[in-house]
Amino acid sequence: MQSAIIKPSPDQASPQGELLQLVSFHLEGEEYGLDILRVQEIIRVQQLTRVPNSPDFVEGVINLRGTVIPVVSLRKRFGLSQGPGDERSRIVVVEVNGNVLGFLVDSVSEVLRIPAETVEAPLRLTKVEREYVSGVGKLDDRLLILLDLNCLMTGTEEAKTMHAGASPAL
Amino acid sequence: MTDDFMQDPALIQEFLIESEELLQGMDQDMVALESGPTDADRLNRVFRAVHTIKGTSSFLGFEPVVQLSHRAEDVLNLLRKSELALTPRIMDALLSTRDQLGVMLADIRGGRNANYDLAGLLAELEVVQQSEVLAEAIPAPEPQKAITDPAPATIPPPSAEPTSTEAAVRSAAEASTQTLRVDARKLDELINLIGELVLERNRLMQLSRSFSSKKLDHQKMAEDLSLSATRLSFITEELQTAGLKTRMVPIETVFRKFPRMVRDVAQTLGKEVDLEVKGQDTELDKSMVEMIGDPLLHLVRNSLDHGIELPQVREAAGKSRRGRISLNATQQGDQIVITISDDGVGIDPERIGAKAVEKGLVAPELLRALSRREILNFVFLPGFSTAQVVTDISGRGVGMDVVRTNISRLNGTVEIDSVLGEGATLRLSVPLTVAILPVLLVEVRNESYALPLRSVQETRQVTASEIHKIESMEVLRLSHGTLPLLRLTHLLGLQGCDEPGSGERAVILQVGEKRLALLVDRLLGQESTVVKPLGAYLLHCPGLAGATVSGDGRVRLVLDPAGLLKTLAASATARTFAAAGGA
Repeated sequence: MQSAIIKPSPDQASPQGELLQLVSFHLEGEEYGLDILRVQEIIRVQQLTRVPNSPDFVEGVINLRGTVIPVVSLRKRFGLSQGPGDERSRIVVVEVNGNVLGFLVDSVSEVLRIPAETVEAPLRLTKVEREYVSGVGKLDDRLLILLDLNCLMTGTEEAKTMHAGASPAL
Repeated sequence: MTDDFMQDPALIQEFLIESEELLQGMDQDMVALESGPTDADRLNRVFRAVHTIKGTSSFLGFEPVVQLSHRAEDVLNLLRKSELALTPRIMDALLSTRDQLGVMLADIRGGRNANYDLAGLLAELEVVQQSEVLAEAIPAPEPQKAITDPAPATIPPPSAEPTSTEAAVRSAAEASTQTLRVDARKLDELINLIGELVLERNRLMQLSRSFSSKKLDHQKMAEDLSLSATRLSFITEELQTAGLKTRMVPIETVFRKFPRMVRDVAQTLGKEVDLEVKGQDTELDKSMVEMIGDPLLHLVRNSLDHGIELPQVREAAGKSRRGRISLNATQQGDQIVITISDDGVGIDPERIGAKAVEKGLVAPELLRALSRREILNFVFLPGFSTAQVVTDISGRGVGMDVVRTNISRLNGTVEIDSVLGEGATLRLSVPLTVAILPVLLVEVRNESYALPLRSVQETRQVTASEIHKIESMEVLRLSHGTLPLLRLTHLLGLQGCDEPGSGERAVILQVGEKRLALLVDRLLGQESTVVKPLGAYLLHCPGLAGATVSGDGRVRLVLDPAGLLKTLAASATARTFAAAGGA
């Protein structure tokens, strides 16, 4: 296991022996990995403002230094049971298709580097639907589910978003 | 425009901004030159503008622009040296040149590599240059069409061009969205305030250190902290103002397009019109300036088209031949008021009223109770103003409802007043900036929401006896009428008890022509807030306009009354549908 290094290193671009840098987090006992370049920051859970009539997996919106961002409960998104929501819960702020949003997760553990060749096609190991999973990475005896963010947030809501127009009516 | 086209985009951008400004300045000068063709200052300015455009475009390799501006420059050079007199024909040729340059610049901006047929225009420029040199002896105040030289009549008559001018006005507005020129003084002020902010931060950190190291007692700490908070709040407020000011541009950027437009349209219509512009220095938010251009254009066109009479009609009515349209901008508090007045034929309230009754927009008995101005403002109602109808009456009104819709989208209002036979005045009033919105804060189920204050007509206490049910729809019966009643809890899909009377307060909202009462738990007060978008993922949530951040850092949602009304309509339809299906 590698130690946590926050800054992405430039050496990862080489195809041979490529290292993936991942932020790993937990959801109902499973460990997940997100490409570190997609992660802007990790923040503690703050008070959320519920948004009526929004998709049920949108937990609410928060104020991130003056920008209002939606927070998506990954448990709800994946159809898992409602989480404990204790003090280990975190919001992982990511950018997907130019939009910033937060993912509510049970806890964030560390930044990992795993060799790209250990990543395998998604198995039927998890409860998460396969469409969101880009692969499964191995590190020693741990299994990491790598998420495909673009798939995760496209489909349902982006299609609607397109129709809704570019700017909110004031 | 070949390989060089792909040059440094920053340079090209700079060239476009500069050239577009020069062209706009040219418009103003040229129109002024029409009445004073020997004004050397203006001639020089136009010459320099064209010269600059030629220089930069040749450096960047925009060959057609160079060609055209070069030829125009020759003509202008003779003009400014008084070797040539400015005739209407030369004026037309120069204006066509200016339009063509505008088209080319727009193409460059859009990355389009168009082919231009410049032969006609170039030939005309050459002809006017040559022939006028020969005709040098003719005195300056020249009779119309002194030159009979059979030109290769390829120039489109300028009278056929008003639409292209309008297109140019629009495209200029669209084009200017990317960059903004800011007065250096405004930036200095901003930097200065940021410096203050840094100082205050240092003080706070110092305070925090002293407190940790127990150098300060509680009492002193509280005092210092409160002092620091006060200063910080002062600085941030100033910073907010200064920041908004950097976005403020003089309304001149819109106004200066009008002289040319008025000239062209007036010429097409065979009318003689003077345009008077006041208050060009009034500043408003850049986005506002961009969005107000179209409605203004529409209104000025209307005044020209339907307000100002033909010269002979004016003379018959004992007015001067030349009509007058004035544009005036002033700041009144946090609003910018723009008036467009003409001394034209005016609007007959009686006929407007009659038309409104005929169209079923108002009951005849109600009409008598309305004031003249209230009746006149019927022209803004959707469905009132079809072109023929209003043109028959006296005028106004092609798409006036569209104008009003656009203005109210900017949180503004538009009103009309008129004295029959003496003219009409349109009064547009828009906020200085789109960013700040006054809101009414309401509370439902311990969550607070903001309602845009402009939609709020009144708030009132509601008793259970005032709430009635008509076909499963709740209504609020008041002394002066019945309003559909909505419970915010229902609209927002919030759970909780909602037996009648649990909502205590009603907010009466006006959305367009519709009014409705919104039942909330509590009113919390008014506030001016900065509205932020909810982000792409939540755009499709009906009834929400955005969000604001409240004092404690939490996000508070801003409701969109029009959207709420739509969800209501949708749910009503669904209910009717369900009822029909069930029966």
